[in-house]
Amino acid sequence: MLALFLMFGYAFSQTNEELKGIVTNTENISLKGALVKINELNKGAITDVHGEFIISGLQKGSYEINISFLGYENLTTRVSLPTTTPFRFSLSKTPISLQEVVITDNYATNRKKDEPLGIEIVNEDYLKQNLGGSLMKSLERLPGISTIDIGSGQSKPVIRGLSFNRVVVVENNIKHEAQQWGADHGLEIDQYAVDNIEIIKGPASLMYGSDAIGGVIDMKNNKLPEKNSLSGAVDISGKTNNDFIGTSVSVEGRKEWFFATLTATLLDYGDFRVPTDSVDIYNYRAALHDNYLRNTAGNEQNLHLSFGLVKDKIQSRFYLSNVNSKSGFFANAHGLEPRNVDTDVHDRSSRDIQYPFQEVNHFKVINSTTIWQEKSRLEIDLGYQRNHREEWSQYVQHGYMPAVFPDTLDFDMDLERKFIKDIYSANVKFFYQASDKTQVNSGISGEYKENQINGRGFIIPAYSQVNIGGFVLGRHELSPSKQFQAGMRYDHGRIKTSSYFDWFPSPLDDAVDPETNFLQRAASINRSFSNFTWSLGYNYNPGKWNYKVNIGKSFRMPIPKELAANGVNYHRFSYEVGNPDLSPEIAYQLDLGITFGSEKFAAGASPFLNYFSNYIYLNPTSSHDRLYGNGNQIFIYTESQVLRYGGEFHSHYELLDWLQLGLIGEYIYSRQLSGEKEGYTLPFSPPASAIINLKYNEKTVGRIDNPYLSVDYKITAAQNNIVPPEVITKGYQVVNVGIGGEVNLYKQKLNLSIQVQNLLNKKYFNHTSYYRLINVPEPGRNFIVNINIPFHSSKTL
Amino acid sequence: MKKYNSFTRNLIAFSLKPWINYALVALVFIFSISCDSSDETDTEKPVIDLSMADAYPTSCATIYFDEPFNFKAYFSDNFTLGSYSIDIHNNFDHHSHSTEEDDCTLDDKKTATNPYVFINDYEIPENLSSYEANLTMTIPSSDASGIFQEGDYHFYISLTDKEGWSTQKGLSIKILHK
Repeated sequence: MLALFLMFGYAFSQTNEELKGIVTNTENISLKGALVKINELNKGAITDVHGEFIISGLQKGSYEINISFLGYENLTTRVSLPTTTPFRFSLSKTPISLQEVVITDNYATNRKKDEPLGIEIVNEDYLKQNLGGSLMKSLERLPGISTIDIGSGQSKPVIRGLSFNRVVVVENNIKHEAQQWGADHGLEIDQYAVDNIEIIKGPASLMYGSDAIGGVIDMKNNKLPEKNSLSGAVDISGKTNNDFIGTSVSVEGRKEWFFATLTATLLDYGDFRVPTDSVDIYNYRAALHDNYLRNTAGNEQNLHLSFGLVKDKIQSRFYLSNVNSKSGFFANAHGLEPRNVDTDVHDRSSRDIQYPFQEVNHFKVINSTTIWQEKSRLEIDLGYQRNHREEWSQYVQHGYMPAVFPDTLDFDMDLERKFIKDIYSANVKFFYQASDKTQVNSGISGEYKENQINGRGFIIPAYSQVNIGGFVLGRHELSPSKQFQAGMRYDHGRIKTSSYFDWFPSPLDDAVDPETNFLQRAASINRSFSNFTWSLGYNYNPGKWNYKVNIGKSFRMPIPKELAANGVNYHRFSYEVGNPDLSPEIAYQLDLGITFGSEKFAAGASPFLNYFSNYIYLNPTSSHDRLYGNGNQIFIYTESQVLRYGGEFHSHYELLDWLQLGLIGEYIYSRQLSGEKEGYTLPFSPPASAIINLKYNEKTVGRIDNPYLSVDYKITAAQNNIVPPEVITKGYQVVNVGIGGEVNLYKQKLNLSIQVQNLLNKKYFNHTSYYRLINVPEPGRNFIVNINIPFHSSKTL
Repeated sequence: MKKYNSFTRNLIAFSLKPWINYALVALVFIFSISCDSSDETDTEKPVIDLSMADAYPTSCATIYFDEPFNFKAYFSDNFTLGSYSIDIHNNFDHHSHSTEEDDCTLDDKKTATNPYVFINDYEIPENLSSYEANLTMTIPSSDASGIFQEGDYHFYISLTDKEGWSTQKGLSIKILHK
């Protein structure tokens, strides 16, 4: 629906004939989401759930219309207005497309063809069919996407091997800001409340600013309820491995121009189980009770409300959301060294959350307004976010912290760290259709954030940061099959960090009075950064082929962690130190894309070549700290030149009408070209992997529509390219199975999806898991069930 | 344009025998990823060896306050050693554990009020691939707050090599007043 407004909203005229009709397939089943376009007017509509569409404001006359829908042949025909009866168009099934690899819709295919960078588009059905422990886990199957996980419910996105502050996550047009630098934190996003996800693989600083150097995950909850309707859905999910139970209820309604949606999600899970009875934490072996990874249980409570108005030339929408989660850390591996735990307390229940744990609350309020004019579109997004994170663990005296915790401090002795971050964002974007063939996109964005810290442990200082940037992006159609795109952007940012002194004295040799010698961990820093970036792209779509090439420069400002960290990493038992002199990270990247689709066969490849003139890297040194932890190894942020290349490959072949064979693969190579770790790779480099997929699907079997059975055989190569402190990870093969469909029970429809992950209960290690270093294998066999029960009110509002 | 045409024709030929070609593409891909070879970089951790006869302290050892002892350990690496650190902290709450396969008897848990703490880092002369650490240490019996508590302690050694690989050993010891 929104695509309709985006693409065609600007064309309104004074006349009042209507083009009305229904689009079905050859079996007379109506097609939802088909694009109906009047060629002469470049005006169109998308069919609703019943396959119906209306294009109003037309003049009498004859028009050529084009109807397209993914997986079906395009239909071009001529109609005359006015007419008394609605038109009926039927489309026949096409040659195979890439929809199996990534679930797409019509908007998605067009978007993928037009965007010079590699892009994946995913909708909520794909998420349900691949439901994982967190949003990123559900997306992990996509080529080029992997995750850094801690526990079963927390994952960080990795795009082509880059993560943390190198990937921008956008929700409802506003950049999601939390403590992205931490590998032990997940994304504060509710995967049950996401309708549509677009993933850009490759540097996208041009549109998204600093940090988008590795890629972008752009999520929208932009479903617009149909006019005068009230509907909703209940989702119930369960997982056997960690005894997960979850439910999400959503209701949406619209009365003419006013609409509102509400979603509430509750999740609760226990410790996850691994196919091993002990894990080796560095040199210490910790026994596990009944295969449970001690204290990895968690829960989540999320609430989303959106409301707004939609009129002919304006749409304005408010989003309010609160995402709250609490999850435990593996109790034996948190602190300054592997720890003994009181097994009587920890193993009493697999569902309770003991120390150490993290608790996060993320609140957002966003307003997004779009105004359409004849040839232009103006978008204004305003956002406020508050991220409140606490990490709790039992007080352990370390360094020269006192054995008896003083009662004069303003924080609890067990509060390890606390961060409160307030973020104010504003974007203004202007789109202008300069001619039939030329479009111009421009925008400015600003952001102000303030971070407060508290707790007994220090890692990053309090800081404030302001960023402002502006861009212009032009697209020109050289011919219907050739497009050229060019853009540039300028950014400026200022970071001010506060100084920090220990709350306890350290007895230094040269101290005058050791009793009052409070060490300064961080000096105040005031730095500003500016950068100019650009990008050039070209697309060529001759028939069944699609070629893309894009070259661009991207950048990223150093973050306060990189400039001013000075503390212990309690998961890695390491001491991390920032470098206040770092310059902004600069990357150049060449992206290519080629896809082919014929009747029974489709394939695509997207290679890339990437060079960083100064990749900011947490370098493990040979030195030790003696003032804070327990003599931990020091890691210092440094810069090095880095070369990366790799790509993704995907293809599938229709063996029979109801049986498809698919192959997805990804490969990344990275190498540091300078600095202390010259010749080494980068940390968390995903190994090469491929998925061989066999999928059965049919239109209807008995009472079940669209039944499917899908078997994934995932082959992952060994990762032998490692950098301290990583360990070599062996290759592995895993089988995952998915089965589901839309079950019609009398008048009620149920969307059912069942997965069996790690069918053979194989013990294997994931190189990019945060717990890999302490030899925690991936979860054992896991049955996942999701039931979605949609409902509609029979009364119109 | 000719180039594209011939490419297209090849691909059409390709799709005529898709079964065979498809399998071939898959095989080549799997082969290429499984042959992913490692670069020639150092991937070995240094080694802390406490097996020699006069290594000290070893697991379950007892050290006395005010009485000098010799810390002795043998360090080695496939290339070049970096530095090492020693940390001594209390284990009155039984939080720490030894990295060694030992079974030292621990005293009952107790609250730390004035435990002994020691953290220090030490250089290793440059360009050595093996080194015998030999330090004479004395643990004082008190500080300004009074007499240190005796009981279970943890003696933690961390060793790095020049590339930044590290290894740790944690030993359960007792420190007692004589």
